[in-house]
Amino acid sequence: MAAAGGLPASATLLLLVIAAVAVAPLASAVRPVSDAHRSAAAELFAASPDGSFGDLETTYEAVRTFQILGVEKDKGLIGKACKFAAEKLASSSSSPAKDLFHAARISGVLKCSVDSGVYDDVATRLKAVIKDTNSLLELYYSVGGLLSIKEQGHNVVLPDADNTFHAIKALSQSDGRWRYDTNSAESSTFAAGIALEALSAVISLADSEVDSSMIAVVKNDIVKLFDTIKSYDDGTFYFDEKHVDAAEYKGPITTSASVVRGVTSFAAVASGKLNIPGEKILGLAKFFLGIGLPGSAKDCFNQIEVFVPLVLSLPSKVFSLTSKDQLKVEVTTVFGSAAPPLRVNLVQVLGSDSKVITTETKELQFDLDNNVHYLDLAPLKIDVGKYSLVFEISLQEQEHETIYATGGTNTEAIFVTGLIKVDKAEIGISDNDAGTVESVQKIDLQKDTSVSLSANHLQKLRLSFQLSTPLGKTFKPHQVFLKLKHDESKVEHLFVVPGSASQFKIDFLGLVEKFYYLSGRYDLELAVGDAAMENSFLRALGHIELDLPEAPEKAPKPPAQAVDPFSKFGPKKEISHIFRSPEKRPPKELSFAFTGLTLLPIVGFLIGLMRLGVNLKNFPSLPAPAAFASLFHAGIGAVLLLYVLFWIKLDLFTTLKYLSFLGVFLVFVGHRALSYLSSTSAKQKTA
Amino acid sequence: MAAPRHHHLALAVALALLVVTAAAADEGGPRGRRVLVLVDDLAVRSSHSAFFASLQGRGFDLDFRLADDPKLSLHRYGQYLYDGLVLFAPSTPRFGGSVDQNSILEFIDAGHDMILAADSSASDLIRGIATECGVDFDEDPEAMVIDHINYAATDAEGDHTLIAGDDLIQSDVILGSKKIEAPVLFRGIGHAVNPSNSLVLKVLSASPSAYSANPKSKLASPPSLTGSAISLVSVMQARNNARVLISGSLDLFSNRFLKSGVQKAGSKIRHEKAGNEQFVTETSKWVFHERGHLKAVNVKHNKVGETNEPGMYRINDDLEYSVEIYEWSGTSWKPYVADDVQVQFYMMSPYVLKTLSTDKKGVFSTSFKVPDVYGVFQFKVEYQRLGYTGLSLSKQIPVRPYRHNEYERFITSAYPYYAASFSTMGAFFIFSFVYLYHK
Repeated sequence: MAAAGGLPASATLLLLVIAAVAVAPLASAVRPVSDAHRSAAAELFAASPDGSFGDLETTYEAVRTFQILGVEKDKGLIGKACKFAAEKLASSSSSPAKDLFHAARISGVLKCSVDSGVYDDVATRLKAVIKDTNSLLELYYSVGGLLSIKEQGHNVVLPDADNTFHAIKALSQSDGRWRYDTNSAESSTFAAGIALEALSAVISLADSEVDSSMIAVVKNDIVKLFDTIKSYDDGTFYFDEKHVDAAEYKGPITTSASVVRGVTSFAAVASGKLNIPGEKILGLAKFFLGIGLPGSAKDCFNQIEVFVPLVLSLPSKVFSLTSKDQLKVEVTTVFGSAAPPLRVNLVQVLGSDSKVITTETKELQFDLDNNVHYLDLAPLKIDVGKYSLVFEISLQEQEHETIYATGGTNTEAIFVTGLIKVDKAEIGISDNDAGTVESVQKIDLQKDTSVSLSANHLQKLRLSFQLSTPLGKTFKPHQVFLKLKHDESKVEHLFVVPGSASQFKIDFLGLVEKFYYLSGRYDLELAVGDAAMENSFLRALGHIELDLPEAPEKAPKPPAQAVDPFSKFGPKKEISHIFRSPEKRPPKELSFAFTGLTLLPIVGFLIGLMRLGVNLKNFPSLPAPAAFASLFHAGIGAVLLLYVLFWIKLDLFTTLKYLSFLGVFLVFVGHRALSYLSSTSAKQKTA
Repeated sequence: MAAPRHHHLALAVALALLVVTAAAADEGGPRGRRVLVLVDDLAVRSSHSAFFASLQGRGFDLDFRLADDPKLSLHRYGQYLYDGLVLFAPSTPRFGGSVDQNSILEFIDAGHDMILAADSSASDLIRGIATECGVDFDEDPEAMVIDHINYAATDAEGDHTLIAGDDLIQSDVILGSKKIEAPVLFRGIGHAVNPSNSLVLKVLSASPSAYSANPKSKLASPPSLTGSAISLVSVMQARNNARVLISGSLDLFSNRFLKSGVQKAGSKIRHEKAGNEQFVTETSKWVFHERGHLKAVNVKHNKVGETNEPGMYRINDDLEYSVEIYEWSGTSWKPYVADDVQVQFYMMSPYVLKTLSTDKKGVFSTSFKVPDVYGVFQFKVEYQRLGYTGLSLSKQIPVRPYRHNEYERFITSAYPYYAASFSTMGAFFIFSFVYLYHK
């Protein structure tokens, strides 16, 4: 696109865009297209294993991106893509206009050889589509396809250009946006870009001059379109749809790219000047460069196609005085290739608070091999810190000024870093009232030290040191922290240096409550750091033993400290149940001995009976009473046996059951046997 | 005649469908795949597309919406429309539609997951949501995390706000089993983790030399956040297993950081690629429950030597307990392997606490003796491990004492008593003859 810089209108627009890109480094993240883009493109447009990129549109986007970025793809891939396109073109009568359009463009980019006969067929087919359709996309594809064929050196003429122009223009809306076809009510910004591109194609294809009043109307539309542009706070401009509709929505990058492509191509073919505010073009360029590494394949394509060359940038914004870094400035096209011969001047150096350090103009040397402009920083006599540098670019050859814009002045923020000298470090304890220092120790802050101090709440801790820049000035870093950490509770207290002195004076009297009355050992840690300081450090200094008064009752409790998450998890200790131990029993022998002893009385009883000369003469002699008596004693025996069985195996319930039967039986036979016995004894008495 | 047959057929089809859906649910993961992505600028969709692509590549269905979209809604007819939320809208002052801070918190309370990224433009709304999740961002709106020692040397800006963080939590389940070698690039705001909240973990902590302050102005008072107390990225797993990741840097997820190389200041090693890609992929896998989600099935217990589960145990019984635990791997349930699963035999307090042994196929088992205390016990598995979803199983089981006939019958030391009673009985028997029939 940038190469087409002939016509006045396009030149104006292009210059604006170029200027925008050249000034773009104002926005912090803007850098020209780099190898990062190339590898990103290669990654995003990764060919599938069979070597194709998917559908025709993706293939076109891939080959076009690779062409612009100069990414080399092997011949096989190109051949495949060509073949793919040629197949589509050959079957022109059945393919939709969209496929023919993309196929023609692929052939154009890859310079595939296509028969002129094939192109004639395609052109006829596309012309037929133009006649029939009233859809913007169909018109865009067919006109674009014809243009692509024409650009490949084939003679194509659109006979009724005015009609086609009107057909496209008929879809435009009053606010500069376009509708997709006559039936749709919704208008879209994306469509506006497409329409403008189609219109410019119609103008290039026309055999005669297109009505200039119509062109003026379209120009007016473009101005209106730019009134709908949206912006970010940092001066970045972009186009987006008014109505965010999920299905049709393309996102701000695609929409902006479409508009920019449309406007640039229209400006390239239409005569006369476009009246677009410069800052909007500049903002658009920032928008595209600010995206950085584009994500999806589509965005990558869009970001690259609208690029316009020339960027001033610093490879690094950090310059070390220690390694005597040179100030290096690259002026390149956005694709990273060399710019035309030019001069870069450093015109002003501003300090961090916008104070002017120097206004002497210095010209940067040009290093042909590395393509950078460089300047030694040492003669500038600038110290460490943050500075703004103002550069001016001027082209060496007059005729380049119509193609490249210098962009006037460029401001770059840089850091100058250096080694800071640390010395005169002292630490000590002093009494509160007199300020007489009891003990002062010199310490070396180059390495960890381990001083041990002790103090009570009436004393002060003093720590002083001196920082000086390589040029010998006092240096005040951003980070100067002294940290006191209580050993036991892990409560930390942080102190910063007040004012400009590099001295800590910690009066413990006022801090007793803040220290939560926690006496004991505190570890001391000193952190000194700054963006401009190359030897930022974090040093352990040792410890201080503090003796603070007892905490009163209502003293605040120290805050809870974070606990190690791993201590909260992890398995618990196993628990096993302790069983009751069985009661202690006497030895078996003892039990048996006592068993024998308990059996002695029955033995004595039996012997006694023998001695007495027991007889059973009273036993009934009659059969019936004898039977009842026998049954009675058998019953008693059975009950006693049941008791033995109860001990050996029966449970209480069975025993009681049997016992109840036996009991009834026993009562019956017992009554008969005993009543007989009593009647006989009564007879004997009476007799 | 045809009507009843149709009826049967319909029933059979319905039953078959039921079985099929039940089987599908069984095979399915713990979480759905619908994720709502809220951005405050649709350019984020492009600038962070590698992260989104990795989510989409893992089967998530992303729905991109502007945070102030007036049609925004998390649920409809009482059903949640999404299973997860990616909140990449740090500067949005209020959400559109029916969504507000409370509805986001209810969404998490309903067991859904969220990734929240803030940056230095973080609004009160985003800070409020983070606070509710146990994370307090630095209140100074201008503050950024600065580290003059552990910054990325590749930082072109030079103000040391691009942190090369390598103080990662030691947890395979959150960060994956592959170690993240390269430092993780971070530019944004720091936060503190509420020490009283045991559910929040610091995943990426700042180094001891870091502090959170405005890099453009001089420090007047000590910064509120310093040193390794600063958390750069934290995760929270709620008690309902909802997972939340909170990052103080939206750029952490951006293509720029995912693709760029990194070299830590003062280090000779230059990494071709920052650790961000691995970090965001692995942590997002964790957040969306593709890792570290456990399920327990087939809780069984029985007496040793038996297979049926009894309704009650007797004191001093020997029993066996087993449970199967599986972990969701993103595609299937894999046997969980660990040596620290414990079971408790619990009544008011644990009477037995034993570590289960595993056969590496998902079955965890042990055996122990029922304590000699009777009452209503519980088998309890309370498994809470860093990064894993919690398992809390309990099964009630009563334990009875011995029955009257289950005690010992022939006690040697009681023989004298037995002998005494039986000899008395024998003597009584003999005496009854003597008494009745002696003449």
